[in-house]
Amino acid sequence: MATEISPSKQEQELCSRFRAAIPSRVNADSHLVWRGRTLRADCLVQIGATAFLLHFDAGSVRECRESLPLLCPWDFAVRGSLRAWESLWQDPPPPGWHDLFALSKRGEMSFEGNLQPFMAHLQYLKDVLALPRTPSM
Amino acid sequence: MARAFIEPIVGRYVHVDVLGDACRVYFEEAGRGIPLVCLHTAGADSRQFRHLMCDEAVTRHYRVMAFDLPWHGKSYPPVGWEKIEYRLTTQRYVETVRAFCHALDLDRPVVMGCSIGGRIVLQLAHAHGSEFRALIGLEAADYQQPWYDTSWLHRGDVHGGEVCAALVSGLVAPQSPPEHRHETLWQYMQGGPGVFKGDLHFYRVDADLRGKLDGIDTASCPLYLLTGEYDFSCTPEDTLRTAGAISGAKVTVMQELGHFPMSENPTQFRSYILPVLDEIRQAGA
Repeated sequence: MATEISPSKQEQELCSRFRAAIPSRVNADSHLVWRGRTLRADCLVQIGATAFLLHFDAGSVRECRESLPLLCPWDFAVRGSLRAWESLWQDPPPPGWHDLFALSKRGEMSFEGNLQPFMAHLQYLKDVLALPRTPSM
Repeated sequence: MARAFIEPIVGRYVHVDVLGDACRVYFEEAGRGIPLVCLHTAGADSRQFRHLMCDEAVTRHYRVMAFDLPWHGKSYPPVGWEKIEYRLTTQRYVETVRAFCHALDLDRPVVMGCSIGGRIVLQLAHAHGSEFRALIGLEAADYQQPWYDTSWLHRGDVHGGEVCAALVSGLVAPQSPPEHRHETLWQYMQGGPGVFKGDLHFYRVDADLRGKLDGIDTASCPLYLLTGEYDFSCTPEDTLRTAGAISGAKVTVMQELGHFPMSENPTQFRSYILPVLDEIRQAGA
């Protein structure tokens, strides 16, 4: 029988930071929501082994699901290692670990699926995924 | 209310022939003294050097000039542009710089280029070093590993300006002031369709200079290479590797700066560039 492996303390802490920021801080920022107004997509965000499914609708995050079923569909995915997210969310992040593409260039992050909505809303999504860098008030 | 004032920068147009194309090239300048020609990054324009041109510590010794490459800023593309795909080449870039310097009758200018401008500085050092007093490459390397598919920069279902700016936004250091970060990105939002992509043809396809930079004489034309620590496109390691193959090249890794040092954080940049400019000036005194 397969044994379920518990997330590490580091992974739990990173996921907690993610949950504290998203979706609440996205939806509370009216200008950020406006910037993402043409995005409607399901985005898988993976932090280590933990996956979140964000349902974007008109710039808001309508739903953030966890414990996803097998074959759960999504439009595009952003998957990063624990040290990728840990570094990205430092303030300031260290050189070479400070941007999604810096991380993908060093093999610590990947982008998959239909990348058209991802690239068409790239700065919005970069800004959403950087929200855990600063502590929630 | 802030006091109204006029900057010392003056803009003009010069007409030059580049490989048979008549080009009307916009340039700005300020200061007097040693000519210093500044080359902007891919997909941007000469506004990147506006802070340098308003820095009296620079302009009291240097005539600072920056031009918009054809297709960029206020320089229109050559006549017939609507029938071709823009692709910058090493030859066209070199001849544009030389045509500009010749048209303005500049006496052994210093040339400082950033990114693609830094790459062409290396080619100038290799093939035309005797024409220049010194060369400065910002974010310069003989080659760097691509980090995205440039087809995203010019397609119908993605806004070109927004995706160009969003891609390069990560090349700005986190410490750079928001005002200057967003002004730097605004230029990328304003570029013509396919222009950034066409510049990167030079960068990625046409100008792999690895193993091709022999014969650079830094004794007669000093070469300075300065790269920001947050530049993950042209990394400090790329610049150090490049300099390692050029005897006498001087390298500086700039702290808390990225790929656009002169526009993303002018205050931080001047702390690095002023000593270089002083050294060049004193060598010629």
